[in-house]
Amino acid sequence: MDHAIVARSLTKRYGRAAAVDDVTFEIEAGEIVGFLGPNGAGKTTTLRMLAGLVRPTRGSGEVLGERVPGDSLREVGTMIEEPSFYPYMTGRDNLRHAALLHGGVPGERVEEVLAFVKMEAASLKRVRAYSQGMRQRLALARALLWRPRVLLLDEPANGLDPVGIAEIRENLRAVAKEGVTVLVSSHNLAEIEKLVDRILAIEKGRLVFDGPLHRLLARAEMLTYRYALRASDPETLTRALRELGLSPERKDELVEVEVGAERADALVSELVRAGVEVIEARRESDDLEDAYLRLVQADARPA
Amino acid sequence: MSGLGNVVRAELFKVVRKRRTYVLAGLWWILLPALVLFVGRLIHVNLGGSFVDETGGIRLVVQEIASPYGIARLTLIGPAYASPTFYVIVVALLAALLVGEERGHAMWKTVLVAQPRRWAVMAGKVCVAMLALGGLMLGAGAAGALFGALGTTFLPTDWSGDWAGLAWLYAMQWAFCLAAVLFAFLMVFLFKNVALGVVTVFFLPALLEGLYTLYRATVGFEPVNRLNVLFQGLRLQQRLEAIPQYFFTSNLYAPARSPVGDVVRAVNTGGGEIPQDALGQLLGAGITLPHAAAVMAGYAVVFGALLFWRFSRQDVE
Repeated sequence: MDHAIVARSLTKRYGRAAAVDDVTFEIEAGEIVGFLGPNGAGKTTTLRMLAGLVRPTRGSGEVLGERVPGDSLREVGTMIEEPSFYPYMTGRDNLRHAALLHGGVPGERVEEVLAFVKMEAASLKRVRAYSQGMRQRLALARALLWRPRVLLLDEPANGLDPVGIAEIRENLRAVAKEGVTVLVSSHNLAEIEKLVDRILAIEKGRLVFDGPLHRLLARAEMLTYRYALRASDPETLTRALRELGLSPERKDELVEVEVGAERADALVSELVRAGVEVIEARRESDDLEDAYLRLVQADARPA
Repeated sequence: MSGLGNVVRAELFKVVRKRRTYVLAGLWWILLPALVLFVGRLIHVNLGGSFVDETGGIRLVVQEIASPYGIARLTLIGPAYASPTFYVIVVALLAALLVGEERGHAMWKTVLVAQPRRWAVMAGKVCVAMLALGGLMLGAGAAGALFGALGTTFLPTDWSGDWAGLAWLYAMQWAFCLAAVLFAFLMVFLFKNVALGVVTVFFLPALLEGLYTLYRATVGFEPVNRLNVLFQGLRLQQRLEAIPQYFFTSNLYAPARSPVGDVVRAVNTGGGEIPQDALGQLLGAGITLPHAAAVMAGYAVVFGALLFWRFSRQDVE
């Protein structure tokens, strides 16, 4: 298979601090990959290096088989951080300017992408009057203007309301169906969960996970869950948990405890068998965000 | 080359959508010629036929400044005086529009993704700045001629003049401004604050030249006695005293200021040549056009090399 995007030991240092540290991954053509990480983890810097905007301190990036920066970047569309436009121009004129700058974009393509993001009418207004959602949609339209084969998207749903998020998600799904390779970062992990097949997770500049979405979830399952329990007698509950080999923490009426994923489901029934009257048992939800956070926390612990 | 062409088309698209372009054109095309015409009219009405016009010199003065040729020439000369000069204002504002705005609106990341060839992006922007400046200068010359033509209806002026020579000076002045454009782009690109970059473009060359002049006037360059043979060989004193010949501003405006001598000679009833002192330099004496062309080419090479080198290595944050 052809690699659409390759990062080889990508490293970016600012003084002694490493924003991105020895990040290596490969993305096949047509893949949709989620790029996860908390703020400051190095997602945006990695995307900037792949887009040829920032020079790596060490390592290299490749797009469509060519080292970055190179002519293959002409086949890349990006939305990196806050969308930016010339505020004194209309949305349509901003797209026309970008089309002229890139070259080889037919005039009707501007109308096509505006229709795709449902911005035909609003595109006649000056950008300074746009809402955040309109800017995000216009930025996506601009990223698609020259029919890119690779999309690098940094927080594309940032600042959008739920309707806007759903619209962006639908747009990206439609783009992906056309075979475009997409690397999308987000802190809205629920959105990535519904969009991507594979996850790259980055923490403190280092890649901590690279694999299919289901493997991230499975790996997280191998870690621990945190339970918040309430019983008619908290003392009995605490004693029973200790007898099960766990380390409970008393917080007023609640008792919190971490339990391995392999026995998490059976915890309540074990407590009942031990004679504890369990009134309430809350487990952390097992969506991607929790899985990711548990993964990062586990990797951050000293061995 | 296609990348360069794309950038030129895109940036022209942007320049014509900016109000600033039309404000500059209005100032240069209308305000300056109209002011000159008004002054010509004042001189003609108030001094024509008076005791100061015993030799008929007022008609000559009015012809020199308010005829079609005279006004077209003043729209070349006028912007080369005052501090900052109108040429530098135009160049700095174009740099702010074409370079500073990309930083101000965080547009570099967009521009450099749409057109990843950085040399093409910067070269295209320089081309557009030069085209815009050329358009403004051409318009100013044409507007000057038009206002002068209007003046022929109520002033004792006609169309005579060395039009070919004037056109050549316009072309020379436009070409000399390449160094100023590159300098302005470099300053506006280097300074994170666009306003600071623009102010630097306005005043840095004049400030450095002023400091030199002040030092030379107050302290002066004495012959160096230590290592006498070496310094004599280098002729350091003479070289330091010759620095004004290489000043950015006096060389930059050499084409625009060169006709001032003609005007002064024409209206100077006492005759005689323009002195070779500081005032003479301001009036365009002392620096020949070939010398100024060589100096400005040198500045253009230095500023251009620094600009393109810096831009090609700059991270876009």
